[in-house]
Amino acid sequence: MRNKRLFILMIGVILVVSLLGYTFGRQKMTWPEKFINDAFGTLQGALYRPVGAVADFFRDLSRLSDVYKENEELRQTVARYTEDKIRYNLIEKQNEYLQEALNFTERQKELYNNYRYLIAQVVANSSNPYDPTIKINLGSHDGIKEKMAVTTVDGLVGLVSRVSEFTSTVTPITEMSATSTDSISIAATVFGREDEAFGIVDFDKEKNVLQMSKIDENDVVKEGDIIITSGSGNVLPKGLIIGTVVSSQVGDFGLTQTAQVEPAAKFDHLNDVFVVVTPDVDAP
Amino acid sequence: MKLRLNWTILATLLLLLLQTSVLPWLVPPGWSDRLLPHLPFLMTIFVALFGNRHRAFFFGLGFGLLEDILFYGQLIGAYGFTMALLGYLFGLIPERRSRTLGLTLGCVALGSAILDLAIFGIYELFQLVNVTFAFAVYWHMVPTLLISVLLALLLYIPVRRWLVKNIASSADENGA
Repeated sequence: MRNKRLFILMIGVILVVSLLGYTFGRQKMTWPEKFINDAFGTLQGALYRPVGAVADFFRDLSRLSDVYKENEELRQTVARYTEDKIRYNLIEKQNEYLQEALNFTERQKELYNNYRYLIAQVVANSSNPYDPTIKINLGSHDGIKEKMAVTTVDGLVGLVSRVSEFTSTVTPITEMSATSTDSISIAATVFGREDEAFGIVDFDKEKNVLQMSKIDENDVVKEGDIIITSGSGNVLPKGLIIGTVVSSQVGDFGLTQTAQVEPAAKFDHLNDVFVVVTPDVDAP
Repeated sequence: MKLRLNWTILATLLLLLLQTSVLPWLVPPGWSDRLLPHLPFLMTIFVALFGNRHRAFFFGLGFGLLEDILFYGQLIGAYGFTMALLGYLFGLIPERRSRTLGLTLGCVALGSAILDLAIFGIYELFQLVNVTFAFAVYWHMVPTLLISVLLALLLYIPVRRWLVKNIASSADENGA
């Protein structure tokens, strides 16, 4: 009897280790997994949104006094936005003209313009501490693919890691550790000085900050700088806000600098997110 | 004392939906990566204590794998394996001791600790953990353990009332 139990346990361990090994670092999902994800995604979506609305309502009630001030600030922001919009229109026209003048190919033009933002609703959060994924209610049916960037109005939240028909899984940027095997490094730069600074962003969980490392020693990255994606490598779109620099210091060997970045997006109580669809330049 | 297994499975599916879509809203901001309750795991412990160990084994395996698949980030199988194993192990307990509230809460606390340690171990094995052990214990294992015990306390009465048959005669059967 004892031996039988031990025997079954051993077989169980072997099966599990092989399952873990098989699923580790796999990109595609098989149809049963997609089916389960989609079926649950629908139900989760039906719960998550109404509950979120109620929770938001109560949170708003408790902050009613702030609303007046916030409204004032928003008015100013809108005024500034209108100004910027006019400027933007002018600059866009000029940019198009210059691209024509410099004989950009169609492919190059497509590359940095024309991002589409698909609005998606979060439907569920994982409760696995080492795999904190988020599920959204858009899938391959809506044109979502792996490694698309997901943002909120505040900033970059994460990357789409797995796609099924009607839902997909998002890995937050707080999981993009340097040691992880299949995570991609986020090429980043400083907003306003895009050609003067460059670094790679990953996450330091214990300090709870993002780290921008491998910055050239001559580059200037100082406190308060806004870090955005640089778009080099063409994995992530250009110009998505990642966060603000809290501090910077000389890196490990004194040849590079490391900056600590406070993420702009909040990762809990997410509701609406945007999936950034980059034009598929390699498609025929 | 008999567990209504079909109803338990249905209730656990609902609890899983609650856990993934409602509980995140109730956790205060800033605590969302510290309080990570696992309602299907709590139900596995209940099945182990009020049902039998074989049922608890398959129950834990099924719901563990379901959770793994639903939130597939890096690996599938960590929760499936650990919950099945814990279901079986805790299923051995009611043969020796009578089921009381204290025992149930003790089992939940112990189980939650073992579950978190085992998950940490599995992810450490694949080098996916980027925090130290002490930090993980302080950061989410202890808060999760406490919230698990609290939720088990909340679930105890409904489970005994609706999912377990013959409550009245249970005390006689076990002989304290």
